[in-house]
This record gives sequence, structure tokens and C-alpha cells, in this order.
Amino acid sequence: MTENKFNRRDFIKLSAVGLAVAAGTRMIKEVAASEGAKGEHQWVMVIDQSKCTGCGQCNLICHANNDINPNMDWTKVLEAGEVNGQLVYLPRPCMQCEHAPCVEVCPVGASYYRDDGIVMMDYDKCIGCRYCMVACPYDARAFNWEAFTGGNPAVPEWGEPDVERRPRGVPEKCSFCYQRIDRGMSLGLEPGVDAAATPACVVGCPTGARIFGDLNDPNSNVSQILRDRPSYRLRESLGTNPRVYYLPVTENRVVEG
Amino acid sequence: MKTILKTIRENIFTPWGIWLGILGVVLLSALVGGILVFWKGLVITNLTDLVPWGLWITIDLSSIAVAAGAFSLCAVVYLLGFKRYEPIARTATFIGFTGYSMAMMALLLDIGRPERFWKSFVFWNTHSLLWEVTMCVGLYFTVLVLEVMPIVASFEWLRKKFPRIAEKMEHLHHYAPVLAIFGLGLSSLHQSSLGAVYGVIKARPIWYRPEMSVLFMFTAILGGIALTLLASMLAARLTSKAKVNDVLIERVAQVLGYLMIAYLYWRFWDWLAQTYTYEPGRTEGFELLTKGPLSFNFWIVEMLFGALVPTILLVKRSTRQTPLWRMLALAMIVAGVVAFRFDTNIVGFLAVVPYLPGEAMVQYTSYTPSLIEWVTGGGIIAFGLLAFSVGVKYLRVVDHRITSEEHETVSVGVGEAVRNM
Repeated sequence: MTENKFNRRDFIKLSAVGLAVAAGTRMIKEVAASEGAKGEHQWVMVIDQSKCTGCGQCNLICHANNDINPNMDWTKVLEAGEVNGQLVYLPRPCMQCEHAPCVEVCPVGASYYRDDGIVMMDYDKCIGCRYCMVACPYDARAFNWEAFTGGNPAVPEWGEPDVERRPRGVPEKCSFCYQRIDRGMSLGLEPGVDAAATPACVVGCPTGARIFGDLNDPNSNVSQILRDRPSYRLRESLGTNPRVYYLPVTENRVVEG
Repeated sequence: MKTILKTIRENIFTPWGIWLGILGVVLLSALVGGILVFWKGLVITNLTDLVPWGLWITIDLSSIAVAAGAFSLCAVVYLLGFKRYEPIARTATFIGFTGYSMAMMALLLDIGRPERFWKSFVFWNTHSLLWEVTMCVGLYFTVLVLEVMPIVASFEWLRKKFPRIAEKMEHLHHYAPVLAIFGLGLSSLHQSSLGAVYGVIKARPIWYRPEMSVLFMFTAILGGIALTLLASMLAARLTSKAKVNDVLIERVAQVLGYLMIAYLYWRFWDWLAQTYTYEPGRTEGFELLTKGPLSFNFWIVEMLFGALVPTILLVKRSTRQTPLWRMLALAMIVAGVVAFRFDTNIVGFLAVVPYLPGEAMVQYTSYTPSLIEWVTGGGIIAFGLLAFSVGVKYLRVVDHRITSEEHETVSVGVGEAVRNM
């Protein structure tokens, strides 16, 4: 009979230390996560449903600029009921949530926050487990079930790709055209004001239904319009705090054009 | 030449040969299927953006659940000191090792980038429950490897060829109580957080409830013990290589019966709470379970034959003491746990919660596993059966004549305290 080294007390001590370490790392992580959203800029998109005609050009331009497989969408345009007998549309990009379920659940940290609030995908880190798709309340992610090898039918008519095509086996989503924002800002341009620094769908919308800008700047176009007009966000009760705002169609504001 | 043919014929047309042949065919077709999946990608499955987790995840969740006998029975034997049950813990350990191997195979098939599976151990998002599950499963699999070593050491060929290695492997059994502590800790963490993987998803209200982790933990303990007992009894009936002590099994089965009562109690309140108030997505999902396409699974497989009937069969002395009734009850519990995991996973996807304003209508989608998912999934199960069969035949995995003296095991303070109570 050997003397046993572990008794109940040791086990409880060991478990307590383990729990403390787990709780500690969690708190550090949480602090880091909430700081991430408070960078110098905070990009938001405002979509005016009274101007959207559901033409779907934003989606085509998005497909060309981000080189997306034709059977996947980053900014689906959906029908969302009728007002005064006219169809109302709702384009749905990634909501770039402040508390993004996809970032919280990703086991490897392939989904992450940029300082300006954009929810990014590290396609090299991703293992393809699809937990982010399970967690996303907005169905904003599309999985590469197969490799996208053929030509892109949206190119060159609607633009030229300026990001790399994603490989088979990872989910992909809208990134607020971070590449345009970054390139534009390095040239001294202002996103939301200068077309070259603004997401492609915003620039390409023929009716100007999409507005883009910095919510941290009280004088930006988005800050002003959100002060002046009533707006809502999707599934607000979940507490995700989306960065895409919608201006609803009201009875006395009919669709123009 | 004739004698060789004769020996082959004699070996093939034995029950063991036919059994291996059947498993071999299933495994070979699964191998072809697996190569196809890695080659063509997940496009050949019936998974979609709306139902991204399907049959493979069910197999993964179920194999982890029914492998849980390893931690619960090892804890009972090595920590609480019920040494009489050590032979059952030996079986449970081997089933645990096999089950976790199966789970990892299923996951490797399921992830989009299988060649990058190692990244899940290198890159950490400590906030993610799936990270926690990955870490615990990885560490626990290591514990299982160490726990299974002394069992592998009883392989005759190994003992003859490499007696020193076999001795070293056997020596690991001295650490059984320490390993049982780690096993208990790691399993308690990941078995329950496997439920929380679903339970924290606010976007899908049918899952979003704290009971998920408790139910997953509970069903894992039930399914794990049930499969261990069932496999032992079945093996003892099919081969002379397996020897069971029916008194031991019957005692554990009785405890299992009482655990089932507690489980029924939990399920009842979990069920009742969900019938109150309307919540988009949750109510529709719940109706899919209770009235819709999943209702047969829910009421008949999960509830009636998965919980109620086996509880009665195991609590009632006369049926429990009849081996056939007992085996039937154990098989029903295992099937019930598998059905619970399948239903839980799929119900969260089938009712699609709307995000459009003013559109309160929940939409429905469907999912039927494709042939390739069935074939590869069948291969994973065949692997489990093969591993257990080989274990029974060559490693004395089910042998209740093995006494603790043979391994000179450690006595545990906690256990003594319990026995002295």
C-alpha cells in the first residue's frame, strides 16, 4: 500500500486555483474586448429604407470588390413588408456588433475586433468549425462549402477585386470594406466623405440610401442624421449593439423614385 | 497450399471472422467516403449555412457522452474507494478512450480546414466555450491514454516481445487515483460546457437556457454508465474471453435506475418551463420537438423508451435481475441519450429566428444527412465496435476476474473516509 499524495483537501485547493486562473483570464479578456471598441474612430453604417429601391446594385458591387462567390452574399437585400402599398427593402450587411457573438464564441480567435469596431476575420487562423455561424443572430456569415475557382461574373462590370479570395472551408462575411478605409486614410482621405475611403456598397448605391461615417465624431454625417431622424437596429434586445442603423419608412415619408 | 486455404476458411467462417468482415466493409467504405470529403470538401454533405452542424456533430456529442463512464466510474472506484467495481472501471476506461477517438474523427471530418486542427491548441480565445471544450478534450484524451496504457500492457504479444515496456506501462496503474482526479476535473468541465456551447447562444432561444450544461452533464453520466454495463454484458454473452460478475453489474444498474429518476425530474421541469409564454423561435422549436417532425424522437425515443421505461426496468428488482430486461433497459438509455443530443442540436437550426422588423414569423428549414455523412459516420461507429471487440479479445477489457491485487493499487484517503462513514 502506497501513501496517497492527493486527498480531498488538496483536490479542493487545486480546483480553487484552477477556477481563479480561469476567472482571471476571463476578466482580462473582457476588459480588453470592451476597450477594443473605443478606438479613435467608430465606423457605422446608416441605411435609409425610404430610399432603398431593392435594386441590388450594392450586392453586385460588393461581389466585385470583395471577390465573392456568386452563390454567397455579404449584403443580402431582403423584402421587409409594405408601407402604403409599396414594398420596403432591407439590405443586410454584417452588423459589426459591439458585443459580437461570433467573436465571443470563436475558439481560435479568428474573429476579432479592430480598434475602430470592425469585426474582422483572420481567414488563416480559422479552422472552419462554424460556431460563429451558429452564434450569429443575423445570418451574416456564408460558408465556403466548396472552392470558388471560376470567374467572377460581377467583374469587371461592377468593379475590380481588391482583397484575396477566401479558401474552401472557412466562413466569410462583410468587413465594411476595411481595405478601402485603410488605404483611403493612409492617403489622407476621410471615410464616409471621400468615395475612395468609403465601403463600395455605400459609394455604389444609386439612390444614396447608404450613409457611412464616424460615430465618435459628433459632426459627422452619420452622427447628425442619427440625431435628426428616428432609427432602429436589428434584434436590439440581444444586446449585441450593432453598428448598422436603419431609418424606417414611415406613413408620411413615402419611397422616392 | 490446401492447408493454408483450409486455415483461412476455418478462420473466416467463424463468428469472429464474419464480424470482422462486416466491420471491415463498413470501415473501407467509410475510408473511401472520408477521402472524398477531404478531396471534394464539405459541399458533398447536406449541411447548409442554415444548418451548419448535422449528423457528424451528433456522433461527436454522442461518443463523448457515452464515453463518460470512464470518468464517473473511475471516480467512484479510485476516489470514493469502491474497489470492488474496479473491473467495471477498466471496461469504462477502454470505452472512454475509444469514444474520444471516435469524437476526434468526427470533428476532423466536420471542420472545414482539417489540416489546421492543430491551430485550435495554439491559438486561444479563452472566452469561447468551444476553446474550453477543445482544451479539456485534448488534456482528457492524454489522461485516457495514460489510463489505458496498463490495459494495453496486458496484450500477450507485447508482454512477450517487450516485457520491459509492458512493465513500464503497467506501472502507470499506480497513478490511477491521480489520473482519476484529473479525469473527474476535466470531464466535469467539458461534459457540461459541451451543453453550454449551445446554452450560451442567445440568437437561438430554444437553446438559450442554463439547464443545457446540467442536462449534458447528466445525460453523459447516464449514457456512459449504461454503455459500459451494456457492452460488458453483451461481450460476456458473445465470447468466452469476457467474464462478468453479474452481482457487480446489477448493483451499478440499480444506482443507474435511481439516477434516471433524478434525470426524469430534471427533464420534467425543463419541459414544463418551456411550455409557458410565447417567445419567437423558442416556442416554434419546442413545437418541432413536441408536435412536429422531431416528436417521435422526443416522445418515443427520448422520453418513453429513453427514460421512463428503462427507469422502471432498472428500479424494479425482478426486471433488473433478469439480464435480458436489464440489457434492454441499458440499450434504451444509450439510444435515449443519442436521440437527446441529435434533437438538441438540430432543433436550434430548424426553426429560423427572423431578424427583420415586423416579421414575427419564424421560418423553417430542413436537414437530412447525405449518403456520404451516413457512410463516414457509420465508419466511425464501426471503428468503435472494432476497437472494443479487439479489446475484449486481446486485452481482457471485460474481465471481472482481474482483481486489484494484480496491479497493487493505491488506497485513497477520501475513499476510506467515505467507507468509514
